[in-house]
Amino acid sequence: MNALFFIVFTICTLSLLFFSPENFLPAMLDGASKSATLCVSLIATYAVWMGLMKLWEDSGVARGVSRLIKPVAKRLLKTDDEKALSAVSMNVSVNLLGISGAATPYGIKAAQLLDQTDNAEYSSAMFFVLNATSLQILPSSLVAVRVAMQSANPTDIILPTFLATVFSTVLGVLLTMLAYRKKAVAKKPTSPRFHRKKAKAGGTYTR
Amino acid sequence: MTHVLTFLIPTIFLLSFAVAFVRKVRVYDSFTEGVKGAIPLILSIFPYIAAVTMLSKLLEVSGVGNAISMRLAPVFRFFGVPQELSPLLLIKPLSGSGAIAVLSDILEVYGADSYVSRCACVIYGSSETIFYIGAVYFAGLKRKNLTKALLISVVTYLITAVFCCLLCKIL
Repeated sequence: MNALFFIVFTICTLSLLFFSPENFLPAMLDGASKSATLCVSLIATYAVWMGLMKLWEDSGVARGVSRLIKPVAKRLLKTDDEKALSAVSMNVSVNLLGISGAATPYGIKAAQLLDQTDNAEYSSAMFFVLNATSLQILPSSLVAVRVAMQSANPTDIILPTFLATVFSTVLGVLLTMLAYRKKAVAKKPTSPRFHRKKAKAGGTYTR
Repeated sequence: MTHVLTFLIPTIFLLSFAVAFVRKVRVYDSFTEGVKGAIPLILSIFPYIAAVTMLSKLLEVSGVGNAISMRLAPVFRFFGVPQELSPLLLIKPLSGSGAIAVLSDILEVYGADSYVSRCACVIYGSSETIFYIGAVYFAGLKRKNLTKALLISVVTYLITAVFCCLLCKIL
């Protein structure tokens, strides 16, 4: 991300320097003020959904949801680590609602915990693909944008979005299974310490 | 069908409040406690949003972004994706906030209920900020084969975009 940011920034600024240097500062300021407006509207969206989420947590609905997701997550990620699985479940259930900002803290925790499990390479890859292919069933911020843009029917994209999301997740999971097939089959219980040492030495970890 | 879905969100809220009330949760306290979390969350992502919107503004003003998406537009059109969506397709894997900005531009220019705008919404809604997730979630963990997972995600994303435009034609 750092390299990308630097490259794009340099190219743009150089091109502006040659053609219209007077536009540089207004562009930066305009971008910054756009981000401020965006954040204000995001605060509104998050306020609504995070209020609801807290209600779910307190009334035990969240725990119920994560109990539903856990068995599936266990199969998909091929890991038995309880702590990692419950972080994954919370991340997935918040993601399902389309509040990706709130899913981030759980995602980071889950990634760290998965990294220490026996089957880390496969689990991490699968967890990443699951998150990267999007899981949401309720595109709440999308509906908000459409309402703001005076759509006659702001919710009519919910169904196609849902279908496309299912499509991309299934496709991503299948591709990951294919790509990591050998490793998943050759999985053997190795201790975390052994695994890390081997990984550092640059070797594969088949015993 | 869309009529049913319009009722979905208020129903979810109503059910959640009812369940919480029945389980003797202090509804008001709990809800406000959750809302409180919104501000720190926004504060933590604001710097990234600001940097990216500044960058995307630079891309736009300098004409560099336009040049890139002009090059790629024929490729997208070949796969049945309207060429107007090319900037959105490029920015979505990088930044969710940048994508919201591009998306609202598209809705403003083409009208919220046009085919192009609906495709844009579905593509936006069915994809994730792949590179951002990679950077944030897996920062510090040096998994060797995450590049492979990244590649899989990008390929899936592009195939799904084509699928989205097909879906919007049918539905």
